[in-house]
Amino acid sequence: MSIVNRRDFLQALAASSGAVLLPNGAFAQGTPKQGGTLVMDVLPEPPTLASYLSTSGPIGQVSAKVYDGLCEYNFDLKPIPSLATSWTTSTDGKTITFKLRDGVKFHDGSPLTSADVQFTFMDVLKKFHPRGINTFRALQAVDAPDPHTAVFHLDTPAPYMMMALSGYESPIVPKALFAGTDIQNSKYANNPVGTGPFKFVEWQRGQYMRFDRNPGYWRPGQPYLDRIVARFIGDAQTRSAAMQTQEINYGAFGAIPYFDVGRLTKINGIASTTKGYEMQSPIVMLDFNTRVKPFDDVRVRRAISYAIDRKFVIDNIWFGFGKPATGPISSNFAPSGIYTSDVHNYNVPNGTEMANKLLDEAGYKRKADGTRFEIIHDVTPYGDEWQRFGEYTKQALAKIGIKATIRYEDVPTWLRRVYTDYDFVLTSNWYQNLADPVIGVDRQYSSWSIKKGTVFVDDSGWSTPETDRLMKEAAIEIDPKKRAALYHQFQKLVVDAAPIVWVFELHFVTVYDTKFKDLIVSPLGTYSAFNQAYVQS
Amino acid sequence: MNVDANSAAAPVTEPRQPARAWHSHAAELWQRFARNRAALAGLVVLVTIVIVALVGPALFAQGPFELAGPPFAQPFGQFPLGTDMLGRNELVGIVYGARTSLMIGLVATLFATLLGVLLGGVAGYYGGVVDEMLMRLTEMFQTIPSFLFAILVVAILSPSIGSVILAISVVSWPPMARLVRGEFRALRNREFVEACISMGMSDARVIVRHILPNCVSSIIVTGSLLVATAILTESALSFLGLSDPNVMSWGFMVGAARDFLQRAWWLCAIPGVAILVTVLAINLVGDGLNDALNPRLRRL
Amino acid sequence: MSVARDRARYIGRRVAQAVPAILLIVTLNFLLVHLAPGNAADVLAGEAGSATPQYMAYLRHQFGLDQPLYVQYLEYLKNVVTFDLGYSFRESMPVRDLIFQRLGPTLLLMGTTIVLSIGLGVLLGIFAASKPGSLRDNAISVFALVSYATPLFWVGLMLIVLFAIDLRWLPTSGMVNIAAFYTGWQKVGDVARHLVLPAVTLSLFYMALYVRLMRSSMLEQSGMDYVVTARSKGLTEHAITYRHVLRNASLPVVTMAGVQIGNLLGGSVVVETVFGWPGIGLLAFKALFARDLNLLLGIFFVAACLVIVVNIIVDVIYTLLDPRIRLR
Repeated sequence: MSIVNRRDFLQALAASSGAVLLPNGAFAQGTPKQGGTLVMDVLPEPPTLASYLSTSGPIGQVSAKVYDGLCEYNFDLKPIPSLATSWTTSTDGKTITFKLRDGVKFHDGSPLTSADVQFTFMDVLKKFHPRGINTFRALQAVDAPDPHTAVFHLDTPAPYMMMALSGYESPIVPKALFAGTDIQNSKYANNPVGTGPFKFVEWQRGQYMRFDRNPGYWRPGQPYLDRIVARFIGDAQTRSAAMQTQEINYGAFGAIPYFDVGRLTKINGIASTTKGYEMQSPIVMLDFNTRVKPFDDVRVRRAISYAIDRKFVIDNIWFGFGKPATGPISSNFAPSGIYTSDVHNYNVPNGTEMANKLLDEAGYKRKADGTRFEIIHDVTPYGDEWQRFGEYTKQALAKIGIKATIRYEDVPTWLRRVYTDYDFVLTSNWYQNLADPVIGVDRQYSSWSIKKGTVFVDDSGWSTPETDRLMKEAAIEIDPKKRAALYHQFQKLVVDAAPIVWVFELHFVTVYDTKFKDLIVSPLGTYSAFNQAYVQS
Repeated sequence: MNVDANSAAAPVTEPRQPARAWHSHAAELWQRFARNRAALAGLVVLVTIVIVALVGPALFAQGPFELAGPPFAQPFGQFPLGTDMLGRNELVGIVYGARTSLMIGLVATLFATLLGVLLGGVAGYYGGVVDEMLMRLTEMFQTIPSFLFAILVVAILSPSIGSVILAISVVSWPPMARLVRGEFRALRNREFVEACISMGMSDARVIVRHILPNCVSSIIVTGSLLVATAILTESALSFLGLSDPNVMSWGFMVGAARDFLQRAWWLCAIPGVAILVTVLAINLVGDGLNDALNPRLRRL
Repeated sequence: MSVARDRARYIGRRVAQAVPAILLIVTLNFLLVHLAPGNAADVLAGEAGSATPQYMAYLRHQFGLDQPLYVQYLEYLKNVVTFDLGYSFRESMPVRDLIFQRLGPTLLLMGTTIVLSIGLGVLLGIFAASKPGSLRDNAISVFALVSYATPLFWVGLMLIVLFAIDLRWLPTSGMVNIAAFYTGWQKVGDVARHLVLPAVTLSLFYMALYVRLMRSSMLEQSGMDYVVTARSKGLTEHAITYRHVLRNASLPVVTMAGVQIGNLLGGSVVVETVFGWPGIGLLAFKALFARDLNLLLGIFFVAACLVIVVNIIVDVIYTLLDPRIRLR
């Protein structure tokens, strides 16, 4: 860390109050040295770098190195300063005043001001960001009284909004380069200019993206790495081999297939972690179409929830990377109090017995050949594990007398069937809880999320006035305890009604080369800036 | 047996014989076939596979998808061929896969043959513009990379037994059509056919009673090779994930086990050997049939 | 020279004949892909993991999917004529560039396969035919028979197990060592190393075919009149074989090779998938599942053109080999 003058030193201190100190208590080992190139595998190749326009998974892995957000987050799931050094919320929760950091420059040298923040939220994210349209629905205006103050005016309190201010979710873009242009077709989409620790250098389609160190980054001395290269390798075997030969140093979000992780981590110098996904929280599920027989009957739905051996699925299909789910909200939300496990438990040893009883009760007795009824099971078409999961489900259903025929279609056909035509009875699926239940959970259980033609919302067609009310109230409740209580009630009710079988909380895995330190330092994991990562030879 | 001196180019013998001579004809065919030791061996293997395919499923009534034991059990243990990644019995998978491969191979070839005979026959018999157009069509189908097209058809119609059979039939008929067209053209100009026509016999009758029977041997030989190709194509489609997910197939077994090559390579090896043996047997039988039915063209 | 002019005219005629065929192929594929439900907008939205109705409508508009079918078709035809194969929204690249980028590896693989399979096939066929019924004849015939019956993907996987996993002599997959960014001769060597297993895998089947064909062709020729004549004239066996018999015996092999080009492209889909070889076979497969319509049609178009071009080349080679055959 080179300290030039007193002003820099003070700034460094101010920055370190939130950033350099690792919130989970683990300090950097030794002094980070300058230098090194990190080669990360990103799968699949991002379609664009415009993270303000698209939430396609792989984009965030690289865009978060280039763009910053108002906040970052610690492992207690609390926002900490980033481009905003502090913020105050009014007592009614409808006004949030952000103080912006001094001396931050975009990669083109222009200074960051509140005008950029105002433009980003009102003219870009609120209008075009696939999630932003919903996340910032309460935001009515952003005032910029001086270059370092941004005031957010909401029409209702929106406690969830504070969780969506990272450089990944809400990147701050330079107003000067976008204002007055067609934002959806900007030349800066794939030539991003941000305030982040790494600058975009080049993108060779089908091969790699290159990001070089930003010497004017607002954290003095950082980043420590000279360069980050994102490689796109289409073949799973090649990726694993490349990890082994140290041709790539880092692979997240399943870049290294689950079945290979165990083998690779046995090698000296390679390790894996499931940390860094706490703001994603994917849950593997079976979705019922509650509009049609037989799944309009809650007893039938509960029966199937009983019949699934969650441990078998986790151990044999996802190689141990998960833990049984209890309901719609992931246990990753435990630190904030929102999660509760005090709900009806379907994960019991005598599950098959319970299932058979419920089905008999519901009037679906076994016929002479042992079957009660037949269904078609649509398998989500995202890869081999899902096929195995479909095959397992078919067997599990057979055990309780349900004859399931598997249907495996490609992505667009499946999406059309499940989200537009509603032409299914049982499908597998997975949703991410994301940063807050309002963003990731409401969309699956609320009546206003039943939207024909929109993907990854409520496909089962289930909702109740009571749970609608609970979600609406929780969205504007700023007292964390009251909010948690609302969500506890919500979880109880939803789990009782079982419109979904929550099979397990999937653990994404990051496989990395151990000579790189401080890679995963926040719950955003790969979706963060890597500003404090360094190489220890 | 008479050989018409005018038909030096046509690989065909004489018009149909009365019943008793047909009997001895068949016996002679068998003798010629049996002299080819390789073909005989192929037949034995093929018959065994057919028996396994017919009888096996009855023996293993629980089906190949049942989760029978712990995953990745090794062969020669509790399970003769081990278990796969979900714990399914590999041996039962092989047995049911035999049924799938043979069934798809036969049915797809049947459709391809029907289509090929129809189109090729019409083209060869009527000639002229009809022939020209049908040949253009055949050429076009032979220009499209056939496997790519098959993948397209199966993916679009969503993988199922039906779409796989359709896809294979659609790309397999051109060679049969070409063959039948050639045969029909040659026979059409033969004296006995001209005679029948001038006698007022209808086209249909001429074709069915006089021309078609003389092509039968070529059709059978080509058909047998088509079955082998169909089985290879089906296994490649299944390997790529384009098989009916409710039906066990050898290609599917190899594809599913591909991720575990390092850990349990035998899960890929065993079904592949099954495919190899079956296709080899069919090829040997096909070669033997070729030798038996076309003695003058027999390879040295 | 009038022969050259004849040849040029012949080629021109064949190309003209090919145009309606290509048109038919393009139309057929266009219709087929549109038969299926779901489109590229669904895929991209699906990958985003979340989408509002506005976003999806925006995507559909971007892809021109909100136009009526015949408009899309005419647009596409018009573009094809100007060699504009459209834009791949999944890969964010013009289709033409994408295909060109990936065509190289496939051509390399196919070219190597053709050379290997024909070369070895012809040699082994001659070798086997030189002493019919002998041990070497039988051994070669058995080898050919077995290779001909073996599924491509299985051979590939087994070769990987043996040479890449057990013996570690060769890489398991890919075309280059991806972190090294080799250039020059180092790159050539690197690619060559990666090429070995895929090329051997793809060659085995076709080599078997050519061995059998060459062998029977050689035997057939050796019994012909002109050979007896040549022998009585005092020409050596060697001269007879290599100057006369070989030339005539190769004709069926050349014909067969031409016919097999379409199959070879299909085979490369499987081999490229098994080895992660970055060619258009693998690209086509991925495009299919991403419902990347433009890319898929583009690949089919290029593949069909390739087949036609190769067929014309084969016909010309045929006439070079056998001057009796006229360029009708």
